[in-house]
Amino acid sequence: MEPHELDQDDFIAQVQSFEFWFEAVEGYLGDKPYGRDAEVPEPPLDDLERDALVTTLCNYCVGEAAALEASSGLVRLAPNHHAQIFLATQVADEARHLEVFLHRLAELGITDARAEVERRANPGLLAFKERLLRFVDAGDWEAAVFAQNVVLESMEDTVFRFHASVADPKTQQVLEGVVADERRHLGFGENDLGRRLARHPEDRERLAAVRAELDPLVLRSFEEAYEALGLGRDDRPSLGRDYLHSVERLGLTA
Amino acid sequence: MTDFLSQYSIQRWLEMCPQGYLEDTVYGHGPDQHEPEELLDNEVLREASIAVTVQLVAGERCALAASSGLVNAAPDYPSKRFLATQTLDEARHVEIFTQRLFDLGVKKDDLESTIQAYTNPNLVKFAEVLLEKVADGDFVAGVVGQNIVLEGMAFTVFELLQATSVEANPKFAHTLAGTIADERRHVGFGENRIGSLIRQHPEKRAEIERMQGEMSYHMLATFADVFGASGESMDEGRKMAEAHGVEPEATWHGADLAHASAEEMEAVLSDTVLKEFKVRLGRIGLEYQSPKVPA
Repeated sequence: MEPHELDQDDFIAQVQSFEFWFEAVEGYLGDKPYGRDAEVPEPPLDDLERDALVTTLCNYCVGEAAALEASSGLVRLAPNHHAQIFLATQVADEARHLEVFLHRLAELGITDARAEVERRANPGLLAFKERLLRFVDAGDWEAAVFAQNVVLESMEDTVFRFHASVADPKTQQVLEGVVADERRHLGFGENDLGRRLARHPEDRERLAAVRAELDPLVLRSFEEAYEALGLGRDDRPSLGRDYLHSVERLGLTA
Repeated sequence: MTDFLSQYSIQRWLEMCPQGYLEDTVYGHGPDQHEPEELLDNEVLREASIAVTVQLVAGERCALAASSGLVNAAPDYPSKRFLATQTLDEARHVEIFTQRLFDLGVKKDDLESTIQAYTNPNLVKFAEVLLEKVADGDFVAGVVGQNIVLEGMAFTVFELLQATSVEANPKFAHTLAGTIADERRHVGFGENRIGSLIRQHPEKRAEIERMQGEMSYHMLATFADVFGASGESMDEGRKMAEAHGVEPEATWHGADLAHASAEEMEAVLSDTVLKEFKVRLGRIGLEYQSPKVPA
């Protein structure tokens, strides 16, 4: 039976299972070691282009390490075993994203990725990571799922889709596989919180306050990324607007 | 260390596990494999199978909580990535053993009450000792408790269950084969990664050895309870096998599976697990602690 034909409980049991994840990733990761076709050649990049790509990938690693630590911390907070199993699949996805970006950095000649990531990380993104992990450490499921599976995933989805549209073919393939995962994670966050908010509309105000706290950190991260890449005002894509539009779907007005 | 850890990457895991031995399986077994009708029709055997499977679910839930909890405590990216694969492996094990409970006739609405009713209290204590270390963010103790003690126990229990199921219940044996392959990888990581960390932190030895002794005690108490209650179901299982001309694999670590008593089975399982502990702990530079014998 197709997932959309199932009642809500069976639908959740199906889409939050290892089996569902297994079938989903088989489709787009089969025969793609480290997220891309092995035969795609390394693109010719000048020093400036290479340096900009390294900075961007380092910041992706910050985001993915944050997502890995947050999603693994969320497993113990999950309210039921279906959510726990879904989050376990997300833990593996986030670890894979970190791995493919680190692998791409290695292909670009970075030998000490950890040091390079520390050196190039945007302060706004680090502040976001710290806030996210504080929600997880405090055991605040709603705020942590919102920050991780709605805000962070929306930010990444916006950035990765834009980057994939202008990236070299190798980086593009890696990003497309990551985006496919992110959409699943975003779906979980919106579905879980959407159902909770329908049952407890009083939680809207609290999550709107969380959003009001996180939005500036996300927008600051975008600005810092543009500056690191040396993009002039007229050349900057409208990622902030796209992000705000994406995160708006839950109707939480900051 | 980097070379060894590259064997535990996500990419390697994808190639070995989902694209390897799990390919073309559903809930860890062949799509056409089912629980034997004779088992489902025999109330003693069905209930005993539910009771055993509940212990597997409880153990795997503990392993899922522990491995996900250890990701943040891991000191390097490769260890975090390996633990991410282990988190997903453990979630898969929770899922396939839970599915087996449904296959054995447990209703979805009765799942949690069934698990609560059958989970052995000593297994709960075993899990609590480990999860306390994880909650404290103690990576070295957590990995020894999880990847050497818990996984070492699970590995041996699964091997015994597989040996007794391979003829009588090929579906369950197939499910177990995949989990055994996973556990082997987890134990390998524990041995390889923790040895160097123990050498760097010799001051942690005594505390970790104490934890192992405590976990081993609760494990032996669980075995004693489970085998103490299994006489009737073992007899029923053998009668069923005889009626269908099925001979279980002749021996397992010297025990005659077709004729050994519950006490003999408990003894051989306990001995095998404890011997494994000694060898594996020795490899990482820890001294095995003999647990007290449960009353």
